[in-house]
Amino acid sequence: MNRPLPYGDPAHLAAHQFLVEEAALLDAGDYAGWLGLLGEDIRYLMPVRVTTGRGAGFDSLADMGHFDEDLYALRKRVQRLATEHAWTEDPPSRTRHFITNVRTFRNDTATLRVESALLMFRSRGDTRAADLLSAGRTDLLRETGDGLRLARREITVDESVLRTQNLAVFL
Amino acid sequence: MRQPDLAAVLTDVRSGLIPAHVYNDPEIFALERERLFSRAWVFLAHESEIPAPGDYVVRRVLADSFIVARDESGEVRVLFNMCLHRGMQVCRAEMGNASHFRCPYHAWTYRNDGRLVGLPFHGEAYGGEDGFARQGQSLLPAPSMDRHNGLIFVSLDPGAPPLPEFLGDFAFYLDFYTRQSPAGVELRGPQRWRIKANWKIGAENFAGDSYHTPHTHASVVDIGLFREPKASKRKEGALYTAGPGAGTTYKLPPDRDFAGQLRYVGYPDAMIGAMAGSWSAGQRALVGDSGFMVSAATLFPNLSFVHNWPQIDASGTVVPFISLRLWQPVSERETEVLSWFAVDAAAPAAFKRDSYKAYLMCFGSSGMFEQDDVENWVSITDMAGGSMARRLKLNSRMGLTASGQPVSPPMSRFAGPGTAYQGFGEFNQRHWLAQWSDHLEAAPAARGSAR
Repeated sequence: MNRPLPYGDPAHLAAHQFLVEEAALLDAGDYAGWLGLLGEDIRYLMPVRVTTGRGAGFDSLADMGHFDEDLYALRKRVQRLATEHAWTEDPPSRTRHFITNVRTFRNDTATLRVESALLMFRSRGDTRAADLLSAGRTDLLRETGDGLRLARREITVDESVLRTQNLAVFL
Repeated sequence: MRQPDLAAVLTDVRSGLIPAHVYNDPEIFALERERLFSRAWVFLAHESEIPAPGDYVVRRVLADSFIVARDESGEVRVLFNMCLHRGMQVCRAEMGNASHFRCPYHAWTYRNDGRLVGLPFHGEAYGGEDGFARQGQSLLPAPSMDRHNGLIFVSLDPGAPPLPEFLGDFAFYLDFYTRQSPAGVELRGPQRWRIKANWKIGAENFAGDSYHTPHTHASVVDIGLFREPKASKRKEGALYTAGPGAGTTYKLPPDRDFAGQLRYVGYPDAMIGAMAGSWSAGQRALVGDSGFMVSAATLFPNLSFVHNWPQIDASGTVVPFISLRLWQPVSERETEVLSWFAVDAAAPAAFKRDSYKAYLMCFGSSGMFEQDDVENWVSITDMAGGSMARRLKLNSRMGLTASGQPVSPPMSRFAGPGTAYQGFGEFNQRHWLAQWSDHLEAAPAARGSAR
């Protein structure tokens, strides 16, 4: 449980490939394809990080996130981006999801816990400086007959004050 | 900024023609710092964020950092976060629980009521009380501080008018957001993020821009998340100005009583009973008789509110939520947004859960309404920084004829205080800008210490 699978382990390779393929869908704006990678019971969570003393015992808010989504909420977000009136992403941002530091842990017989580091570059228009979002992610991937599905994602963002105008993007 | 230039800007603003550069102008921002934020009552925190003795949060008024702490006796203190000795921040976390704040530089130590209690080598270095009287020394308190419904406000002006006098008739509307039961509201968050937009734009938008809703937020109607923003519904809403605040409402479908209207927007009966007991006859009449439900509002200068009722699941369950947000200026072209989820402290747990979901889907850093708002505001700010913007006066005269008369008269039957108009208009934004103009015209506030 506490040690990551060897990097040559087929389960690790499958998990790593899942994350890279997922990033490719997001950077291509194929959100319908991305929804297909999610489990029906997905929980997609991004707690608010806060600056606290070392002794405080917490550095994120337990009851407030930037995201705390189920499949209904994620579908609505994707539906919205597909309308003709989602102005904030029309023209769309140019994003690149860099996924690295992938570590895979055997969670139980049917699920893998996968930790990864994410750096997302986001550029809009031609006058604004680009945004960077750095985060760690802890995912629960479920092995199904149809391949891996994302059952849970917790995004640990590395800023307490986000330097991007909104989260009209997925991490 | 030269006086004649400022006078010309304010004359234009007061006539409803806004010189576009005010939304990205360092000279205007300097005046806002010296003449507006030096004087105005500004929201910092809510008491529910610091429920227990020792709890604190750190918040800013522009560049000034304040510790908002509940001291050991339960009193709320607002203390300037700068050591009396060499000026270091005595608290560098943004929240936590502490009985004392010790400066990292030389270990001067303050109790959480601000009193200086620790001064290393007091005798050897300073000659004890005779040399430097520790007694009576305290972190500087905010020059003025007061609370309303648990909302903690400060003013940097020691001669600020009393908070109740400042809030005036807007207190009537504040209760819809912050006193749905005697337990009051609890705040969660805030989400914080920076947007490359001037702080005034969001404040004005929430004060009264019902006209943007049908178009800016068309996508939210397209996907069936929130039905009300359709133009046909939005233009039936009332816009009110009251004291230093202004807000928008939705006209609810007719033929429902007080409880029926609140049920329509998704409140459970237990909460409706609490609201009936917590609100005055006038407040109940605004919902029950006039049939209006508050939506967005702004309390001058930079605290805004929103109350909407989206569908939170595939079976169409409608649940309302409340958000408070602070448009914290960083510069003339950048704003930190602090956005809290707010819910009645006595609400059932299931309601709190569902209302939180409703909030996250609609507002805040990822909210589907807010996403498109911010795109607009960033774009306006970008455009306002150039030289052509100095030749453009933005028309903010909606609701007025060329001779300055209202297109439709004020409402005669509106249960709330202040002045209300039904239909689209920019009355509220002009009301906000009139206060802004008064501040910019006045001499800088006195820089005295606390009362």
